[in-house]
Amino acid sequence: MITYLGNFLLWLSLFFAIFQFIVCRYYNKYKFTKTATLGLLISSLMSFFLLMYAYIVSDFSVLNVFQNSHTTKPLIYKISAAWGNHEGSMLLWIFILTVFNYFLFKLHNKKNSYFVLKALETQAFIIVGFILFTALTSNPFIRIESEQSNGLGFNPILQDPALAIHPPLLYIGYVGFSAVFSISVATLALDQNEKILWHVYMKPFVLVAWSFLTIGIALGSIWAYYELGWGGWWFWDPVENASFMPWLIGTALLHSLIMVEKKKSLQTWVLLLAILAFLLSVIGTFLVRSGILTSVHTFALDPSRGIYILTFAALLGIYSLVLYGLKSKKFLNKNYFTFFSKEGSILFNNIVVIVVCATVFLGTLYPLLVEIFTNNKISVGEPYFNSTAVPIMLPAILVMGIGPILAWGKEDKIIFFKKISPIFLFSILVTFLFFLNYKSYSAIGIVGIFLSFWIILNNLLILIRKIKKNLLGMVVAHLGIGVLILGITGSSIWQIEKIIKMKIKNEIQIQEYSVVFNNITEIKGPNYVALQGIFTVYDDQKNVITKLTPENRFYPITKIFTTEASIHTNLFRDLYIVLGKGNLSDGWIVKIYHNPLVIWIWIGSLTIFLGGMISMKHNMKKIIK
Amino acid sequence: MKKQILILPLLFFILLLIAFFYILVIERNPSEIPSNLLNKNVPVFKADSLIKKEKFISSKEFGNQILLVNFFATWCKPCRDEHIYIKRFSSNLNIRVVGINYKDDPKKTLRWLKNLGNPYSNIALDKTGKIAIEWGVYGIPETFIVNSKGVIKYRRVGPINEKIFKKINIIIDKINNEE
Repeated sequence: MITYLGNFLLWLSLFFAIFQFIVCRYYNKYKFTKTATLGLLISSLMSFFLLMYAYIVSDFSVLNVFQNSHTTKPLIYKISAAWGNHEGSMLLWIFILTVFNYFLFKLHNKKNSYFVLKALETQAFIIVGFILFTALTSNPFIRIESEQSNGLGFNPILQDPALAIHPPLLYIGYVGFSAVFSISVATLALDQNEKILWHVYMKPFVLVAWSFLTIGIALGSIWAYYELGWGGWWFWDPVENASFMPWLIGTALLHSLIMVEKKKSLQTWVLLLAILAFLLSVIGTFLVRSGILTSVHTFALDPSRGIYILTFAALLGIYSLVLYGLKSKKFLNKNYFTFFSKEGSILFNNIVVIVVCATVFLGTLYPLLVEIFTNNKISVGEPYFNSTAVPIMLPAILVMGIGPILAWGKEDKIIFFKKISPIFLFSILVTFLFFLNYKSYSAIGIVGIFLSFWIILNNLLILIRKIKKNLLGMVVAHLGIGVLILGITGSSIWQIEKIIKMKIKNEIQIQEYSVVFNNITEIKGPNYVALQGIFTVYDDQKNVITKLTPENRFYPITKIFTTEASIHTNLFRDLYIVLGKGNLSDGWIVKIYHNPLVIWIWIGSLTIFLGGMISMKHNMKKIIK
Repeated sequence: MKKQILILPLLFFILLLIAFFYILVIERNPSEIPSNLLNKNVPVFKADSLIKKEKFISSKEFGNQILLVNFFATWCKPCRDEHIYIKRFSSNLNIRVVGINYKDDPKKTLRWLKNLGNPYSNIALDKTGKIAIEWGVYGIPETFIVNSKGVIKYRRVGPINEKIFKKINIIIDKINNEE
């Protein structure tokens, strides 16, 4: 029953999407468009909730539920299982597309009718592509002929609260760029540069997409940190890179839009970035879902899917970039500006971000290119990215500290240096104190800590002084970046790792703490059994700091072992314990990490997200006006 | 000069597409993932047999002649689709095919084989999915070629179709010639 209804709803949303495309392209009728966008929104919403319902009631006549769920699974993970697999996640993707579609429609008024309908036409095309992809190659509503008593279970490493909400947030990010793409295409197609303030419409969508992408990536990192048990939170995995690249493009886009707003310059550039952000999102999806790049994110592999997505990306890309090649010259202008100004700093930020994006892109695809030409399999990993992308970013971060306080036009250098020198000296002082405390020296560490305080202090100063309301979001987001850099530097430079074999009652020293292995017990969870190690942590005065209980879980239904790291967090450091293999007589392998300042990564990401949302609220007001 | 730059993104994108299509279509099929077990001996296991009274013992089944190992289940639709090719291997080409029935109900499987025909010389029951884990199976159907020394020579993830059917034949001929 569910499968028939689900298929019906899927095809119904396809019908509405095609209807919307035709109405917008050939008739320009507001009334019909309203029917189409609303119908699309409701039908895709219902199909998504229908699948979720099938998971909640464990309807194993649906192949997708049978393959990914089990009656013993906790309810929240039954719900999140609906998007924890390829087919279901495409349904979520379509639903979010239609939500953005509806928001685009809401921009409609008498003056901008042509423009909005053109954007909706493009959006409808994107939606048709994704619905066809889902219905034809990844249909979540396939029936199983024979009756099944229970499901096959769900990959237990996905059974984690951070991962349950990671895909929806990330998809809001990716899919948000579809609306930005549609607006860019509409602008180029109509080339009514003067009449429509297209950048005003584009900005809130960029802000939403970028903010949610930030928080979505951060949650993915949190998951990797807690669940994979590798002690780190970022691995330059192809899938991580696939989300990082649109984020970088989004960052450049966000800053360039300010230039369009204030100076009417960089318009061609912004239109290109708007196209690229979404194209990179789709290409990223292609790389992940086709299986041509191997990573920790394995989705079910199917070559026909890869060919479909690639063909679709080709259609979108060729259409938009041909349009760009033909029409964008009308948006060129000759507004030159001096380097030492706000414009200059934004332009510099743009260049750096794009170079970093290109570097990541090259590193991610390099193994594929090598394979094409030489048939050798190589892998590009952390050392490449850390030694290229990271140093390139440093000057941009330095500029970021002063960009917001630079004036438009031309800044007087001497006055300006007088203005920034107190903060500059103060940052050096804080860095110095910091190192006195940590007693650990590293060149990159010094630079990282200095830059983070440089940004934090500059932005705090702006916050303390009265600032214009429209800048509040930007300042908060920049503050978040400073905090994020503090966390990244601390945890990557001063991480201490100890891997040893421990028997019960053994003790080990890590930094100022001593960790005692008290006991090991068997425990039973809702759908797993586990060995739980019990460790007590003492500080140098022999006070008990905490008890840590890392687990080795075994999920009998899927026959998978997972490790649950146990972590004690405070503002200065994380203590992170992973229980490895072992037995009573020989002892267990135990990995203990001392990760300084990790929590600031999460606080920073959240602050950036908040900044984006504050900006978003401000920009929405502009549109409603 | 300046305006020509604006078509550069398009050119770059097209080059990228060519590379991707090349990898996807010509160069490499993601269904033929090089298995970690490639050129290694088959995993040792013991299981109940669906069609014989005595136990299915891997050392007795493998290592005597070239054969195909096919992971299947009745609940899996693609397995039904590829069944015709499995039958062609065993009846037309006289290649021994060993089935491994993945997480399934034996009664249903017997009925399924009765309806569609049984191409398998023996079928191991993998009720818990343990055998599949040892073979590194991604998802069913999945098919392996094992040579007469019990060494895995090829792996196919996903159903067998006309193209793969021919390819497997070529590989088996090659192994026969080498031996």
